[in-house]
Amino acid sequence: MSEEKKYVPFFGCMISVKYPQFEAAVRKTMSKVGMTLVDLDGFTCCPDPIYFKSSDKLTWLTIAARNLCIAEEAGLDITTMCSGCTATLSETRYHLAHDEALKKRVNQRLKKIGKEYKGTVSVRHIVTVLRDDIGIDKVVASVVKPLNGLRVAVHYGCHLLKPSKIMQVDDPDRPTILERLLEAIGAEPVQHDANLLCCGKACMEPDMPAQMTFDILTSIKRTDVDCMGLICPTCFDAYDLGQIKISRQFKTKFDIPIIYYFQLLGLAQGLSPEDVGLNMHKIMPEPLLAKVA
Amino acid sequence: MVEISFDFKEKLDTTIGGEMHSYCFQCGACVGDCPSARYSKRGFNPRRIVLQTIVGMEEVLLEEGSIIWECTNCYNCYERCPQDVRPVEVITAMKNMAAKRETNPEDVRSMVKTVETKGMTTVLTALVDKRRVDLGLKTLKEIPVSDIQELLTEKER
Ligand code: SF4
Ligand code: SF4
Repeated sequence: MSEEKKYVPFFGCMISVKYPQFEAAVRKTMSKVGMTLVDLDGFTCCPDPIYFKSSDKLTWLTIAARNLCIAEEAGLDITTMCSGCTATLSETRYHLAHDEALKKRVNQRLKKIGKEYKGTVSVRHIVTVLRDDIGIDKVVASVVKPLNGLRVAVHYGCHLLKPSKIMQVDDPDRPTILERLLEAIGAEPVQHDANLLCCGKACMEPDMPAQMTFDILTSIKRTDVDCMGLICPTCFDAYDLGQIKISRQFKTKFDIPIIYYFQLLGLAQGLSPEDVGLNMHKIMPEPLLAKVA
Repeated sequence: MVEISFDFKEKLDTTIGGEMHSYCFQCGACVGDCPSARYSKRGFNPRRIVLQTIVGMEEVLLEEGSIIWECTNCYNCYERCPQDVRPVEVITAMKNMAAKRETNPEDVRSMVKTVETKGMTTVLTALVDKRRVDLGLKTLKEIPVSDIQELLTEKER
């Protein structure tokens, strides 16, 4: 038997509370590609890289470092499923590795709860682990029902890729990682004009993100795809629930199902739509399910 | 009249992420791919914002409703800047300063309160556990909020 690779999953609060169907999809699909997830107790919110970071960066780094400490104590690397958690934990790891004085300040606070951050574990988004550690061939081998003919509009979102120097995932202008993972399950990745446009969620002026979301959905609509495929719960929020708001505001019907990559992988591995919680989405993917049935 | 603050540079130099602002040579490389510059109705422009920091326009940048809150945090400017200014981090450093003055948006403050008091950005309800069980997942364990409380300040509690 080949050696199983072990990772500590950091699901974060968006996925475990708001979109547990993504957690279910990850757990049910990863067991079939030889990735062992070792759950640890005691994690908190990463904390979020938009609001919390914009309020008090030192505290943001400290709470993130506390989360990293938990994996350090177990001696296992972290894998993340949300681009926000990936950003917070990766940035923290990077800054504390490159700024000894900052690390000291963080550790001074951590001492109050009996912890010390050393910097011994890595943080990788789960798609990066799949590509680099597990191997895309393992994903291919796990497929029993390839999603042949399924056209998927790829949406990267910002924080998986940028800052590229810190994230170390892919070329932020010409990324290929999601395309390769989609091809591995038989689906056809489809490019569209607003492929790399930000969802705008962090902008505190409401009209701008609404217009950005409208532009992205319009750009996708033109390509005649079956769904949008993504890897971040915050982007999902912007396009699933958000799509209903935008449809109303701009008086335009889109009907674009939004699907987390691991839900598609689950379908390709023979799981049912309910197994991966597709019934919990606001935009129901019925035509897509008929196509892959 | 615009008020100029002569020690704003120093303040930014000592705020995490603000350190590089004075290396900006105003090339404008950060503007072309900035979605907020494209979508703003108020003329959001990261090059101009960094110029304003150098000039010392502290009051304009930190007041309630400042244009800095139109940034989407997309990090395109971070990628493009040849001087490693990281405009988005300079903006974030100013947001930290605004938080101290409580001139940051109410929505930001309430989200931070939720994390500080609940340990997460979303609120747990009975429905969450039911959904998790339906999906074959375990119910969620208690979050160690007391640790977060302890880490909020340098001071001993
Ligand atoms: S992070 Fe902000 S300033 Fe930088 S490119 Fe994106 S929206 Fe513009
Ligand atoms: S890209 Fe950098 S150096 Fe050029 S204007 Fe923007 S912040 Fe200044």
